[in-house]
Amino acid sequence: MSDIDDESGEKPADPVPPGTVADTFREVLPDVAFAAAPGALDVILMIAREDVPRVLRAAKEDPRLDFKYMRCLSGVDHGEQGLEVVYQLYSYTHKHSVAIKARIPQEDPRIASVTPIWRGADWHEREAAEMFGIKFEGHPNPVPLLLPEDMTDHHPLRKDVPLVPVEEWQGVRLGPEAVNVGHIPAGYERLAGPAEGGGEEGKE
Amino acid sequence: MVVEEERDLETIDIHVNVGPQHPATHGVFRMVLTVSGEKVVDVVPHIGYMHRGAEKLSENMDYRQALIYQDRTEYLAQFNAEMCYVMAVEKLAGIEVPERAEYIRVILAELNRITSHYMFVGAFATDLGVYGTIFTYAFREREYIQELFESVSGDRMMYGYFRPGGVVWDVSADFKERVRWLCKQTRVGINDIERLLTRNEIFVARCRDIGAIAAEDAIDYGLSGPMLRASGVPVDLRREEPYSIYDRFDFDIPVGERGDVYDRYLVRMEEMRQSVRIVEQALEQMPEGPVLPEKLPRRLRPPLGEVYMRTENPRGEYGIYLVSKGGEKPYRLKIRSSCFCNLMALKEMVVGHYVADAVIILGSVDIVLGEVDR
Repeated sequence: MSDIDDESGEKPADPVPPGTVADTFREVLPDVAFAAAPGALDVILMIAREDVPRVLRAAKEDPRLDFKYMRCLSGVDHGEQGLEVVYQLYSYTHKHSVAIKARIPQEDPRIASVTPIWRGADWHEREAAEMFGIKFEGHPNPVPLLLPEDMTDHHPLRKDVPLVPVEEWQGVRLGPEAVNVGHIPAGYERLAGPAEGGGEEGKE
Repeated sequence: MVVEEERDLETIDIHVNVGPQHPATHGVFRMVLTVSGEKVVDVVPHIGYMHRGAEKLSENMDYRQALIYQDRTEYLAQFNAEMCYVMAVEKLAGIEVPERAEYIRVILAELNRITSHYMFVGAFATDLGVYGTIFTYAFREREYIQELFESVSGDRMMYGYFRPGGVVWDVSADFKERVRWLCKQTRVGINDIERLLTRNEIFVARCRDIGAIAAEDAIDYGLSGPMLRASGVPVDLRREEPYSIYDRFDFDIPVGERGDVYDRYLVRMEEMRQSVRIVEQALEQMPEGPVLPEKLPRRLRPPLGEVYMRTENPRGEYGIYLVSKGGEKPYRLKIRSSCFCNLMALKEMVVGHYVADAVIILGSVDIVLGEVDR
């Protein structure tokens, strides 16, 4: 609960109206602490990472919840406040949706895998693992998905991995102020040599 | 001559590498098939060859700049992808969209669904070995719509026409007339292709009961769009959780029965007809008026919050998970790609079929590698 209150210092937490899916979760799992917040489209439920396997198993298998469809799983890096795994669930029978979130500390980024629950979580978890360095315990095939196998020294979507400034773009050398991608400063110098009028610029 | 005693032949499994540069993989996708004779016993897909870090790049740009990555990831249904992204930003920032802009968006998104499915049917027929004919027909029809897109947005591929709040500029005066003609022409075009394929004996023999996936498995794998509907689950986000103005239109949701390659083809063809219906209704209802709200802030700073916006794209559910911390740049932007999830079930569909069928099963998933790898 405490780390959620830190968050609500910035975000005024409106009470979630009764009768939402948050109540159903509390009814199904009375001994689990849920911190509910209203989202733009879905109710957001914050849970502790120890509860992840239990809550998500119940979310899929309890007929009152019946979340058979895991539509998305994302990792989020909240810097000092740790990493976050967000599960977007939807039920075709009850037509309700929910976002379940669990915070994990950056120095110990372990969380239970939900691939044994939804097979569709497989690649999402592999992606979150390589992009954020989250360790999904119990994942059947924990190898990198989009990144090269040997790229294990950093996790690109973490906030402490900044974008490397682009020094050269389509044969044009950019100045030192080009810290942002897409920013082309005035008065750039063209590279001398065959890049001038080369095929690079004539695409499309 | 001594005849050896007959014995069971021992076979060894052979790995066949398909891709990353292969015409059947629709881009840079690689799958390693383990075959026993002609039968596939295992498949390991390898993706990521076109990973360009669109999410990371988007997080380093402001909300309006990040739009362009939607065109570049989902490069066959750009308007649909843009629509999902701008709606996510609008939800966060609380921007109201003028009516006319909503109608323009829906018309373009539905026409884009048609071009995307034309692309599917052309490429799919090529996978089957129908070189040329269908592809040319589909591309001729697609080109008519592409010309409209070019005249509307000024670009052939990377439109960048939608904006949080509406669309960049209004459509030209002859827009309605051109779209009406397109609707008529598209109906003819779909019939042309269906006459060549749908009851073609060879086509049916190649596609029937190939790569079938049951409804429960499809849901468990998180399949969406035509893949899921072909398995008999009548779910369409335009009907399920109506976004934009989709609750104003009357259209049917085609579903398949067996969930095989043939059903996926049929569902997509019928979807194109339904898209034409939506476009025609939208044209009738389209009002005059502005296409951008009057008081649109020059710098978008959505308040703290997050949203998971989802739309029904040609390939299924396209989602944008957007987290705002109050800054000018998205704090986190995750693209839930529809064919990324659909591709996950490849093993389930391919194992047990012949190598030649693996190619058409992959074709029936209708992958766009830009969207898979992002």
